[in-house]
Amino acid sequence: MNEDAQLSEGTQEKPAQEEPAPEKEAQSQEAPKPPSVRVRIRRGGAAGDPDEHFDEFQVETGPRMTVLDALVAVQSAQEPTLSFRYSCRVGMCGTCALKVNGRPAWACRTRLEGLGDEITLEPLANFPVLSDLAVDMSPFFEKMKRARGWLEPTSLAEKAPALIAPNSRERKRIEPHIECITCGICYASCSIVGHDSDYLGPAALNRAYTLVNDSRDALGLERLLEVCTEDGAWRCHSQYNCTESCPKGISPTGAIKGLKRRAVAGGVKRFAASIFRGRAPGA
Amino acid sequence: MTSVKDPVPNKPPVWKISAWRSMYPGMWSWVLQRLSALALIVLFPIHVMNPYIDSVRITMLLLVVWHSMHGIKVILTDFGFPDRHQRKLLWVLSAVGVAAFFWLAFMHKEYWRFMS
Repeated sequence: MNEDAQLSEGTQEKPAQEEPAPEKEAQSQEAPKPPSVRVRIRRGGAAGDPDEHFDEFQVETGPRMTVLDALVAVQSAQEPTLSFRYSCRVGMCGTCALKVNGRPAWACRTRLEGLGDEITLEPLANFPVLSDLAVDMSPFFEKMKRARGWLEPTSLAEKAPALIAPNSRERKRIEPHIECITCGICYASCSIVGHDSDYLGPAALNRAYTLVNDSRDALGLERLLEVCTEDGAWRCHSQYNCTESCPKGISPTGAIKGLKRRAVAGGVKRFAASIFRGRAPGA
Repeated sequence: MTSVKDPVPNKPPVWKISAWRSMYPGMWSWVLQRLSALALIVLFPIHVMNPYIDSVRITMLLLVVWHSMHGIKVILTDFGFPDRHQRKLLWVLSAVGVAAFFWLAFMHKEYWRFMS
């Protein structure tokens, strides 16, 4: 053994290098190396965790492969402790939202093609991180509750099913806004949510907009007053981050602007009515 | 459900380039409008004290035009301009702003010492 080692050292490792080389060539001729991407994944617990770091994985890619496919591949073959969340895999549930190369997106509907050779995956911003890529959605749904994101039916609706014609103005006004699946991407992309943690956020306000415009809903003005506050619609700065990032093509900014318009119109009407009655506004 | 007692929201740090690189045009519009407002607060008293400093005047002209164009964008969208065209509106108004700046700056050469 010693002699061999000495020999190889003495002869500058020439025979050792030549032998495996043909094998490698033969391999590359038989099957060309499959295309792959380097996936950088944020690891660790909550934000500010001292163990927070990025792990890199090399993932073989195939046609029409998505970020979620890559994550599943990493978890099943390389790193079983990797935490991330997904459910439907087809863009229906909105569970798998995360940050791909700095921008929030659904892992299941984001293809690897066009993302480059290195993909950075991080958890959604503005949410408390539970582990790796999984975030705690509770503040998001708490705000949904604060905005009363459910229908309070009128007494009329209890008697007979309400009819809202597909071509009616009411239906068209809420058309894109009812498509929200509460994935949290708008909430993560909103810089105002990052600045003011009490701000209701685009999704809750979008939901409130659909209900304020719903003739079956009995909460009307009460909901509007609750939602158009300092931490509600009036906090929005029209930055359009939510509109740009929404995978469903909804414009929560437009919904918030709709709420603002409704609030102003209501206020102006009230003011005009009080003047007409010859009383001070609010008296 | 979750047992997070003191949730620390995961905020992107402002000093990291990645936070800026992933910004959308509407956000840039807002950031630049804010910065132009701050710059105008500083420049305005200087301008009042000495209105004939060309560098201050031309900078103020650029900032005022920029700030107002993006203000107009917000006003238009507030009053129901369709949101799906907000990017186009941003580019159009930016172009109008740049054109207005050059028109105001170079069509009145008698206003500027360095040109007359």
